[in-house]
Amino acid sequence: MNLLEGRMSERLNEILYRVAEEILESLAFLFPVLDEERKKISNVFVWGASISFGGPFSGRLVILASETILPDLVKNMLGLDAGEEVSLDQQHDALMELLSIVCGNLLPAIAGKKAMFNLDVPKILFPEEYDALMQKQDSVSQVILELENGQTDFILFIEEDNLSLNSLPLV
Amino acid sequence: MAINLLIVDDSSVMRSMIVKALRMSGIDLGAIHQASNGKEGLDRLDEHGVDLAIVDIAMPVMNGEEMIDCMRSRPDTNQIPVIVISTEGSEARIERLKEKGAWFIHKPFTPERIRDVINEFVGRQNV
Repeated sequence: MNLLEGRMSERLNEILYRVAEEILESLAFLFPVLDEERKKISNVFVWGASISFGGPFSGRLVILASETILPDLVKNMLGLDAGEEVSLDQQHDALMELLSIVCGNLLPAIAGKKAMFNLDVPKILFPEEYDALMQKQDSVSQVILELENGQTDFILFIEEDNLSLNSLPLV
Repeated sequence: MAINLLIVDDSSVMRSMIVKALRMSGIDLGAIHQASNGKEGLDRLDEHGVDLAIVDIAMPVMNGEEMIDCMRSRPDTNQIPVIVISTEGSEARIERLKEKGAWFIHKPFTPERIRDVINEFVGRQNV
């Protein structure tokens, strides 16, 4: 990665962090802290989801989240009491919806509101799928966030055809 | 007069959030029907008369824009007002949806934003 691409990658990280922080706070009253010291989240006790997109550039956004934060995510989104039970289906649903909203807000933050993207339906990503994805492709941006009850990572992949970061239409 | 609604979103959590926001808004609500994609949404419209449809865009099977196109092509549904609640960020696509007669609410939304848009809809219905 050359110096210019390094700066672009930093800029992408800033945008991804800002968007993820805003959505976590406004959607689910979760207040993240950027943790550049922490290593990438481990696959143990983690749920992941992935959403693909196409448009001026194509790729996918992945979220990995400690299983400990998912019940709070659902309860905060729905305004439920702390003691109320939530199902695993609801936890997966909330994780995918969070990812979809972050992705939908991230792409115009990168490329501007004139750019038109098509978002696929998000899907739950199992650990072996995440491992395969990481081996297949390098991410262009990753933010590692610390939450009160756990951790979450957002990882942006862009297809190799679009991989020159210098060509991204950063706004 | 109570408003009968159809909410179409593939996320059951999001549908519950919308219902909660509607109940918090103080609007007089009648029956609230739900569907998880555009095709199911059209099926619900065949079964129930509604005053307003709240529709997501990115959904499996049939997306929200395709559902709106089907609604507008059918005489029994072409007059039903539609509010799109979506993460859509493209100005051109939002404009296209508005040209199809849809109001637009961006995700994430606040209950106040839903209340304001529905109040505007109710106000127009009462004119």
